[in-house]
Amino acid sequence: MSNVVVDEAPGAARETRGAGRRRPKMSGRRKKEALYFWLFISPWLIGFVGFLLGPMIASVYISLTEWDSFTPPEWVGLENYSRALTEDPIFWKALGNTFYFAAISVPLGLVVGVWLANLLNKRVRGRKLFRTFIYLPTLVPLVATAMVFKMVLAPSGPFNDLLGWFGIDGPQWLLSATWIKPALIILSVWGAGGATVLLLSAMNGIPRELYEAAEIDGASPWRQFWSVTFPQITPVIFFNLIMGLIGAFQIFSQVYILAPNNNVGGPDNASQMMVTLLFQEAFSFYHFGYASAIAWLLFIVILLFTVIAFRTARKWVFYETEVR
Amino acid sequence: MAVASQTPDHAVAAAKGRRADRDPKGGLSAFKASPATYAVLLIVSAMFFVPFVLMVSISLASDQTSAQNAFTVLPTEFEWGNFAEVFTATGLPVGRFVLNSVLIATLSAVGQVLSSSLVGYAFARLRAPGKGVMFMIVLATMMIPAQITMIPQFLLFKELGWVNTYLPLIVPNFFTNAFNVFLVRQFVSRISGELDEAAQMDGLGYFGVYRRIILPMMWPILTAIAIFTLTAAWGDFMGPLIYLNSEESMPLALGLQYMTSTSNAMQLPPWNLVMVGSILLTVPMIAIYYLGQKYLYEMNLQGGSAGVK
Repeated sequence: MSNVVVDEAPGAARETRGAGRRRPKMSGRRKKEALYFWLFISPWLIGFVGFLLGPMIASVYISLTEWDSFTPPEWVGLENYSRALTEDPIFWKALGNTFYFAAISVPLGLVVGVWLANLLNKRVRGRKLFRTFIYLPTLVPLVATAMVFKMVLAPSGPFNDLLGWFGIDGPQWLLSATWIKPALIILSVWGAGGATVLLLSAMNGIPRELYEAAEIDGASPWRQFWSVTFPQITPVIFFNLIMGLIGAFQIFSQVYILAPNNNVGGPDNASQMMVTLLFQEAFSFYHFGYASAIAWLLFIVILLFTVIAFRTARKWVFYETEVR
Repeated sequence: MAVASQTPDHAVAAAKGRRADRDPKGGLSAFKASPATYAVLLIVSAMFFVPFVLMVSISLASDQTSAQNAFTVLPTEFEWGNFAEVFTATGLPVGRFVLNSVLIATLSAVGQVLSSSLVGYAFARLRAPGKGVMFMIVLATMMIPAQITMIPQFLLFKELGWVNTYLPLIVPNFFTNAFNVFLVRQFVSRISGELDEAAQMDGLGYFGVYRRIILPMMWPILTAIAIFTLTAAWGDFMGPLIYLNSEESMPLALGLQYMTSTSNAMQLPPWNLVMVGSILLTVPMIAIYYLGQKYLYEMNLQGGSAGVK
């Protein structure tokens, strides 16, 4: 008797398992695995709903109202958007300043990065030392960097002293509407070492044979750079371009700290950026509706430039996998 | 060495002899360093380094020099006492600033490591209907700039009574972020599945596999995530600026800004002490980078290629 039961049991089990496979319904094991999946990703899922999706929906709603968070929100439709785009001169100034900053600092940072990486890629003695010097500034917290530059660029500070040796009467950098943006750009280029290190590692990976072949064909080092090195590092340049653009459009801390006498965005709104404007509207004036509208406009601007960059990428970014 | 070993024919590389092995760039004109190369590198390195030298020399300047703004690039005075004075003479609780920074940065890193390892493991290993869609959402959320959610989050945390506490700066880290999930998922995907399959045969559950098998193997990427979170939280300025308004609760990055704001426009900030503060803010970051640079480099590369391809 017992023998029969033992013989039957595995067969029965096999049969049900087989049936389970044929059915579209999940087996117990699969169900358990799926349950654990949702359990394990729940920290992200809760964070996504609570800190991202929920706030995003709320942000759309708030941007369509006028709200100081103390009195009930007042529905105004698209008025915040039209006010930013048609009535508020400071919004356009902030947008223009942000473009100016991004349009110069990002390409300049990339050019400096590629140039330095190419120099470091040569057979230089003490390369590690040079690389360390160039990379070190990227490790300094932005706040500390801004502090140093605030002091260096003070009217009677060390930088103007240096210019004085060459007989140049330096401008009042941070107090001058003309010079505060160049000052912000200088500060950002000081961090070009991050891109340099990434580009250098990309250059290190370029096969030697390509240079040997170019050499045999009689290409000059300049020609070799443009025909061998540059195409090979375009993916890394592209990555740094995208990251740089996104970061530049969100510039905030430097502007806030370098502002003369806590006049953020000054002098004369010459350093007012999208995010500093948003911050002031929200947390100084409690215009949460208007600030939310600016946030969405900023998002659209970033999205637009990212899409443009990706579109043009097909023309100049080179992927070896596409050739093979 | 790395380039030589990539050549298709190892025998050829070996035949070229030691010199080529040691120096894969030897003899090619593209890699020839001219005196101009050295000149440019020296000048640029100096330009990149001068602000550091200034930071140090001003931190060692006397109060008198500082008040007159009469700084020199190389230190001429050595007021080491500034490094003690910064904690007492500014009228601000600078010691507390440092403590707050350490607290916020450490707890943020713990939160990211715990949550991203768990979520990343699930995305890499566990099968469930809807997983593909969820992962698409993870990738899509990377594109949303923080400014969009900044205001509603502030209103939410205000409603919860969390303003002027560390909670708004720390708690979100326990719910991970898309980029870290992505990094962990990529890392775990490249670990062979044989080991956890064997462990499952031996009766280890999904959490057991995570805890006993995968987690111990994840530490390179988790170290990178910890460093990344530490540096981001340590240097964060905007978050504390929004949420913390009492001096007792401020981290150093925000406290420094308070140190530079003087009561009237004509008065100069105590630059020597501000630079001591900047050094206090900078040195831990350089130390952390130095200790973990191997892992950071790896993450940079993964992040880099992930962003491009």
